[in-house]
Amino acid sequence: MPPVENHARPASDLKVVGKRLPRVDAKERVTGEAIYPADFSLPGMVHARMLRSPHAHARISRIDTSRAEALKGVLAVVTAADFPELPIGTMVPMGETGYDMWMVAQLNMARHKVHWVGQPVAAVAAVDPHVAAEALALIEVDYAPLPAVLDIASAMAPDAPVLHEHVVTKGIEPRPRSASNVCSRTVIARGDAARALEQAPATASISVQVDTAHQGYLEPQVCVAQVDANGFATVWASTQGQFTAELMTARMLGLPLSQVKIVPLEVGGAFGGKIAIHGEAVAVRLAQKCRRPVKLLLTREEVLQGGSGPPAAALIDIAVAAGKDGGLTAITGTYRMDAGGLPGLSPSLVMQASAALYQCPNLDLQGFDIVTNKPRTEAYRGPGGIQAAFAMEQAMDALCQRLGMDPLEFRKRNASVTGSLMPIGTPFPSIGLTAILDEVARHPCWTDPLPRRRHPTGRGLALGYWRGTSMTSAAHITIAGDGRPMITMGPVDISGVRTTMAQVVAEEFGLPLADVYIHTGDSKSVGYSDGAAGSRVARTTTAALVEASRDALGQLRARAAEKLQCPPDQLDYADGSFRARQPGGAAISLPELMQATLTDGAVVGRGVSTKLPLGVEIGAHVCDVEVDTDTGLVTVLRYTAFQDVGLALNPAAVEGQIEGSVVQGLGWALMEGFDYGPDGRLRNASLLDYRMPTALDVPKIDCVIVETPVPNVPYGVRGVGEVPIVPPAAAVANAIARATGARIARMPMTPERVLKALKADI
Amino acid sequence: MKVLLTCTVNGEERIVLADTRDTLLELLRDRLALTGTKEGCSNGNCGTCTVLVDGQPVCACLMLAQEAPGCDIVTIEGLAGSAALHPIQQALVEHGGTQCGFCTPGIVLSAKALLDRNPQPTEDDIRHAIAGNLCRCTGYGKIVEAIAAAAATVRGS
Repeated sequence: MPPVENHARPASDLKVVGKRLPRVDAKERVTGEAIYPADFSLPGMVHARMLRSPHAHARISRIDTSRAEALKGVLAVVTAADFPELPIGTMVPMGETGYDMWMVAQLNMARHKVHWVGQPVAAVAAVDPHVAAEALALIEVDYAPLPAVLDIASAMAPDAPVLHEHVVTKGIEPRPRSASNVCSRTVIARGDAARALEQAPATASISVQVDTAHQGYLEPQVCVAQVDANGFATVWASTQGQFTAELMTARMLGLPLSQVKIVPLEVGGAFGGKIAIHGEAVAVRLAQKCRRPVKLLLTREEVLQGGSGPPAAALIDIAVAAGKDGGLTAITGTYRMDAGGLPGLSPSLVMQASAALYQCPNLDLQGFDIVTNKPRTEAYRGPGGIQAAFAMEQAMDALCQRLGMDPLEFRKRNASVTGSLMPIGTPFPSIGLTAILDEVARHPCWTDPLPRRRHPTGRGLALGYWRGTSMTSAAHITIAGDGRPMITMGPVDISGVRTTMAQVVAEEFGLPLADVYIHTGDSKSVGYSDGAAGSRVARTTTAALVEASRDALGQLRARAAEKLQCPPDQLDYADGSFRARQPGGAAISLPELMQATLTDGAVVGRGVSTKLPLGVEIGAHVCDVEVDTDTGLVTVLRYTAFQDVGLALNPAAVEGQIEGSVVQGLGWALMEGFDYGPDGRLRNASLLDYRMPTALDVPKIDCVIVETPVPNVPYGVRGVGEVPIVPPAAAVANAIARATGARIARMPMTPERVLKALKADI
Repeated sequence: MKVLLTCTVNGEERIVLADTRDTLLELLRDRLALTGTKEGCSNGNCGTCTVLVDGQPVCACLMLAQEAPGCDIVTIEGLAGSAALHPIQQALVEHGGTQCGFCTPGIVLSAKALLDRNPQPTEDDIRHAIAGNLCRCTGYGKIVEAIAAAAATVRGS
């Protein structure tokens, strides 16, 4: 297999890649024919519901399911007693650190204790959803309530009730002796930041609080499970990764991996919230018990009230310092991230991301992963990025105001460039931040005068960085009897990659897009692939498919050589045909070749990408806002997102990712926040009370695409979908500060909070 | 309790055995297997289950199945002919107005209700017409563009 080298082809040579083409799967979406798991049914299928904890923190002393089991129409009931008790520290691979199966099991079925309102404690399968709901009320659970900690500050208090007796803070020397709600401490430091801060002529600092929000996917968690007569389990799921779901489901059930298959159906939005399983193993256990297929569909209230993982709340303090010339001299930061009821991710990536775009000699960043009695958090699009940028980019903006320096000039003065040091001390690979800032400088969104409105208006600038990840993606290409490439890819499509990946294969084969078929395989029909997360799928699957295309074309070349009676290296391949290189040489098209060799065995090209260089994402956002000083309402008047994408495989798809991501960011910036009561119950667990942006709340988002290819990556592709959610809250906050002089330190920046800040400022 | 209902869905008379507790959404999805209508919240907040009832966009989750008799109900399955896409659907395809696709059937029907009564909508009219349909993927811009383009196509034909 030849190594996959850099495709530094000029864009003008590309025929399919880089074109603005409609999605290959758009028609089934607009007609309602696309099949999501909720649309999938099997003969004899029954319906499951989950009983969930009404307490934020309690010991479970007894569960009696006998009355529920006796209800007519109830076919099976399960509790934690129906699953093996997994030891702490049994890991399954995914993401930077993997998932601890002890934790995944707790997410899906509480054992001994509940750690948040909404954590599952039992599940029922019944002939219809109405009966299943009735049965839940008949399950008796005795709880011994415990004191709960509901926010970061009270979880960190020295006398706080401890959630997990086995959790001792990692990252502190010597290792502490007692259990803590602080799961880990992470430090990233260089130079002497404290001294630099003290000596600097200009400093700025901010402490922000970010409320928990939600990914807000419109399709609630759902799956259908079936167990056949031999015990083989199949789950049709809405998941970001069929292999991660398979590992988690099998481990939670104590089944061998060869006995579980996950079939990924269409995903109605995920954004990080559908990486871990939320019910798949429970549905399988119910199906085993009642010997019928089982559908488990969460209600919207369940999704919001502890049945899924929202992103982390945060308390972040940032201080920055600069010399009179505007050169940054110090960045310090404390990042306290609320993981919810089970230990979360190390804040390392978030800390790095927030400081990555500035060259600064002195850094002192400390991060804490903290548990509280709220739903265990999950990723949300550049997880942690928007929270940290809300603090860092406001601090930088405030520093510009102190220095009397234009915020764009300040960024140009301090921008990271190719080869400058990342926060962890390694040099940056090729990045295009300077090119982005140059684009901003000449764009009308920056040069146009600020619009005059009834209320004060302001223009904000904020940067965003997201590292992304690579991990493993596999794919194979089978050549159909008519010569067309049929792609089976491992990664699940949550961002339109069926289209862009079909474009890549069409380009490699010199065929029109319509000649390529693509689908995602189930966990038994394609090579192991990690989940669709970390802006990794388009980049790594491109690499896998370039390799698979060349493998398949190599096999086809051997067949063509035989048919054309010509040595393989004397054949030219272009636009779907092999041709002998001599003048007037004979040719054979792929359809002719496959028809002529159909009985010679399959042509299957294989490809895998395991350690692709990172394709870091960088964006700069500019927004104009109007702040109603009577009501505190902030209206976004204009919004422009600049982003370096390496190479846009499909500009329409890239814009779609950027626009959607920005609007999610604006939602969290201005209106989306979880409102917990003192009992740990979410008070706004509906889409009426947890308000996400509608078409009336946001303007058209303008996108400016910059292309700085990543070396040694096919087509030079970067990640796209995550970083655009990072800057919006900071861009809006900076615009509000420029309009009114008030810094808003709490997110979401609701009218009430903005008004309060305006009044405090007078 | 089960009841026998007769209703008109996509121009066809259907006789359905339903539960008295069923919503119109459950009638369509679970009893008639018309799964193009999606369920996002069951609370009338997200608009994914939008169907047309006597030409008006309605959240099917907010109407009881027992209210369906006597109404003319159009779902996404009843919109296009067997071959061609409706101009709204075609425009959404061409303008990148669908991503995960879960909100799309509801958006299509809200847009159809708009164009049926107002063939020359402004951008503001379009944004108001789909304000009850949440979309979490697109940021709305390409949907609004697509509906404007579909309006032009409908006017031209």
